[in-house]
Amino acid sequence: MLALQIWLVKALLIFLTTESIGELLDPCGHIDPESPIIQRGSNFTAVCVLKEKCMDYFHVNANYIIWKTNHLTVPKEQYTVINRTAASVTFTNLVSPNLQLTCNILTFGQIEQNVYGITVLSGFPPEKPKNLNCIVNEGRKMMCQWDPGRETYLETNFTLKSEWATEKFDDCKTKPDTPNSCLVDYSPVYFVNIEVWVEAENALGNITSDHINFDPIDKVKPNPPRNLSVSNSEELSSILKLSWINPSINSVIRLKYNILYRTKDASTWSQIPPEDTASTRSSFTVQDLKPFTEYVFRVRCMKEDGKGFWSDWSEDASGITYEDRPSKAPSFWYRINPSHSHGYRSVQLIWKTLPPFEANGKILDYEVTLTRWKSYLKNYTVNDTKLTVNLTNDRYTATLTARNIVGKSDASILTIPAYDFQATHPVTDLKAFPKDNMLWVEWTAPSKSVKKYILEWCVLSDKSPCIPDWQQEDGTVHRTYLRGKLMESKCYLITVTPVYTNGPGSPESTKAYLKQAPPSKGPTVRTKKVGKNEAVLEWDQLPVDVQNGFIRNYTIFYRTIIGNETAVNVDSSHTEYTLSSLTSDTLYMVRMTAYTDEGGKDGPEFTFTTPKFAQGEIEAIVVPVCLAFLLTTLLGVLFCFNKRDLIKKHIWPNVPDPSKSHIAQWSPHTPPRHNFNSKDQMYSDGNFTDVSVVEIEANDKKPFPEDLKSLDLFKKEKISTEGHSSGIGGSSCMSSSRPSISSSDENESTQNTSSTVQYSTVVHSGYRHQVPSVQVFSRSESTQPLLDSEERPEDLQLVDNVDSSDGILPRQQYFKQNCNQPETCPDISHFERSKQVSAGNEEDFMRLKQQQISNQNSQSCGSGQMKMFQEVSAADAFGPGTEGQVERFETVGIEAAIDEGMPKSYLPQTVRQGGYMPQ
Amino acid sequence: MLACLCTVLWHLPAVPALNRTGDPGPGPSIQKTYDLTRYLEHQLRSLAGTYRLPQFPPSAALLLATEPCLGVLLNYLGPPFNEPDFNPPRLGAETLPRATVNLEVWRSLNDKLRLTQNYEAYSHLLCYLRGLNRQAATAELRRSLAHFCTSLQGLLGSIAGVMAALGYPLPQPLPGTEPTWAPGPAHSDFLQKMDDFWLLKELQTWLWRSAKDFNRLKKKMQPPAAAVTLHLEAHGF
Repeated sequence: MLALQIWLVKALLIFLTTESIGELLDPCGHIDPESPIIQRGSNFTAVCVLKEKCMDYFHVNANYIIWKTNHLTVPKEQYTVINRTAASVTFTNLVSPNLQLTCNILTFGQIEQNVYGITVLSGFPPEKPKNLNCIVNEGRKMMCQWDPGRETYLETNFTLKSEWATEKFDDCKTKPDTPNSCLVDYSPVYFVNIEVWVEAENALGNITSDHINFDPIDKVKPNPPRNLSVSNSEELSSILKLSWINPSINSVIRLKYNILYRTKDASTWSQIPPEDTASTRSSFTVQDLKPFTEYVFRVRCMKEDGKGFWSDWSEDASGITYEDRPSKAPSFWYRINPSHSHGYRSVQLIWKTLPPFEANGKILDYEVTLTRWKSYLKNYTVNDTKLTVNLTNDRYTATLTARNIVGKSDASILTIPAYDFQATHPVTDLKAFPKDNMLWVEWTAPSKSVKKYILEWCVLSDKSPCIPDWQQEDGTVHRTYLRGKLMESKCYLITVTPVYTNGPGSPESTKAYLKQAPPSKGPTVRTKKVGKNEAVLEWDQLPVDVQNGFIRNYTIFYRTIIGNETAVNVDSSHTEYTLSSLTSDTLYMVRMTAYTDEGGKDGPEFTFTTPKFAQGEIEAIVVPVCLAFLLTTLLGVLFCFNKRDLIKKHIWPNVPDPSKSHIAQWSPHTPPRHNFNSKDQMYSDGNFTDVSVVEIEANDKKPFPEDLKSLDLFKKEKISTEGHSSGIGGSSCMSSSRPSISSSDENESTQNTSSTVQYSTVVHSGYRHQVPSVQVFSRSESTQPLLDSEERPEDLQLVDNVDSSDGILPRQQYFKQNCNQPETCPDISHFERSKQVSAGNEEDFMRLKQQQISNQNSQSCGSGQMKMFQEVSAADAFGPGTEGQVERFETVGIEAAIDEGMPKSYLPQTVRQGGYMPQ
Repeated sequence: MLACLCTVLWHLPAVPALNRTGDPGPGPSIQKTYDLTRYLEHQLRSLAGTYRLPQFPPSAALLLATEPCLGVLLNYLGPPFNEPDFNPPRLGAETLPRATVNLEVWRSLNDKLRLTQNYEAYSHLLCYLRGLNRQAATAELRRSLAHFCTSLQGLLGSIAGVMAALGYPLPQPLPGTEPTWAPGPAHSDFLQKMDDFWLLKELQTWLWRSAKDFNRLKKKMQPPAAAVTLHLEAHGF
């Protein structure tokens, strides 16, 4: 049902539309004006007039008119209903170049019906053409140009009109694509003035330019001169004659010319002064040219009075001036071949070909003359630029001239100094620098007058040898550039040698680059030494072939794998650098860049790892630890050793050996023994009951005079006990020979108190060592007090016993008890040391001593002390015992004397400080 | 004296002879006409394509033994007219104005008569030439002749201009005497060519004569200007 309705509506619409079109074929109305063209920016009004028939058909009037421009409805405000059939629309300031305007009516059902349409064009009227000018190309038609003014946006015709006073010519109409010029259809007639103007016209108006009146001959552009030719003159090498054929217009007008010329290789032209060519001519002679040089010429012409236009340039023509004699002597230098033998030198004379502007022609050959001192030597004619001659070691003068077809050049004179000539006076402040793509060399002249300078240069390379090029400069020059083909990025070694009248001066050299570049290879860095926190890097200088410039500095980049890169700049003179503040046990990557003035180039990356410990660090820890351990151990051992008795006592105490026990002496009267310590007590307790024991210290010194009293007392005491001891019988001397010694020395010994009569049994040694296997009982037959000799063994015995209770140094301590000041006993310590040296076995030592003493036949047992013992040993070695004795006594005497003030020896000390007697 | 000088200077712009930019007088146009005759002569020579004719008469003598022009135009006429030695008798060319004249007579001519003769001669020659152009066979020749005719037209205008400048009236063209170039039955082809030949020869002679005429006029025109200058100088001091 719905579909049927839609179909019906459609069918109705089609019917109605067909009906309307049928009606509209005859337009419902029209717009006036039909095809308007208006000036842009102006107002425009159009009127739409409806036909009555149409109005009736659609039931509309002028009020139903709707205007549209380019399919957009024009606002109602612009409409004006004129009457029932007509309505107008007005546009103000219309700027659109092309406006489609339609008139429509709004029929029943708001359906718009198009009534009529027009196109409104807008533009501008033509402007007055300006700057009209004409040109007459010789032999062709006249062309005129002008400035057409602003764009009109409309079709505009320009017409060039021309006339004589008596006759009009055909108009020249422009083509649409060239509205600013026109080529007239006729050839202009010269010498008859013509009047020309331009008319411009379009739909909005027409306008005429100013008239110009001219003679076409004054607007002529002649054809260029033809067949230009150049010829030279054998008489004058500085001129060339030009000839040409003038354009045919020359027959009716006079011409003037421009002549340009240049050398063949030059790029800029020179001009002959125009006043020289201001009149008609067909040839011209150019002067002041260089000999044997090719010149290129061109010429153009125009009307002589300057009216009109210059012709085009003629075709170029070239010619070569004639030759002239060489204007300059060639550069001249020499080289001495290094091999020198038999008083002859091989000298290579070299010279440069003259540049064309100095050769002034083709050089045919060179003439070389050699003069030794002032005698003419030889003449050579050479085509080459070098000559090798063998010369003696004398001084020579060489002259060189170049010859061409016209003549010879001036002579170059060169002095080859004698073999032993010493060059002096070098140039100073030699500098070389690039500028304007050339390598300039600058120097300060020496004080001496210089004839000329020789500059030599070569490329410095490790691969190829230095092959020098050279050039010569006048003696007045102190700045020049190297005239040779130089390469960039190459190191040039430049040597400047001043040449004086008597020979060359000392050469000076410098290095320079024409243009530097970054190095082609970077430096290869490596480590020389790697420490825990530092690394010493080293590298080699870059070879000169890859430097490409002066190495100004290096930059070292180093980084860890994760860390940032650190850069260090290093002066170019270094080949070593120490990186500090590195982290130990870390992988470092390092690379190096070498910089010239133009940039840098990286070298390969080098990797190294810092060690965990510095060199010697482990040793520094281990060695002290070991040493400390050793020391501790040693101290422990020493301690144990020194305390061995105590340890022994605690671990394995003394057990008296009954088999060794004996009763040495029984004494009814026991002297008071306050000084005996508990051990002695124990000893006595253990071994002897009520036995009087006298211990004689072997070290005891001979008594001093001041101690004699006490000794005397002691003697008296001994004397008092003499009876008792004698009762037992037997000497208590240590040695069996003692009695005889005593007897023999009796007289001498009387002065000393060293010999005493043994009153009692001497117990030699302890039970432990059981050394004294022979029990000695000696009894002095002398009445002389032999206290000292007798005492000593006793003392030793005593000390031996005391040791166990008195620590490490019992004997010392014993003496120390007798010494007020420990430092006053150096010899005691000496003795102590002696004791220590003796393998720590005092018993052995004592035995040895005793044996030694006993071996002395004349020994009076007076000196048991070590020193004495040594002296005795020495005496034994030297001679008979009496001598030794005498000596010993002397010594004793001296010691006694000295010991008045200085307690140096221990015997007097012992005695003086109490000894055992006061005790 | 100073006041007098000032007065003179004050009135200086008013002196017509000095105010040459405003009214140059006949001098420049005479010079131009002279140049034009030379140009036309050059053109005719180009048209004939030969240099057999001398550039200019070496003396003032006008009666010259001229050689016929060769080249395009004469080649067009064909032999024997294009032969160098061809010197036909002046037969059917009676109507052509004669350029040759006795030297004494020429010298005695006044300016007006001189210019009038020139004007009349070229008027006639132009008519004949246009007739020749109409008969020209090739387009190239026709174009060259047309340009030459235009130039000759210009010369006529120039002469008229000079005459106007000098205040002479232009000669009135005689009605009915307008020459025509209609090939008549009396003219054979050879005689026609003979007429053409004489036309070109007469034209060339007239161009020479005109050059001389205008050179003479030019020289005559210069002294007054110099006199004015001298007069002014005398007046000034």
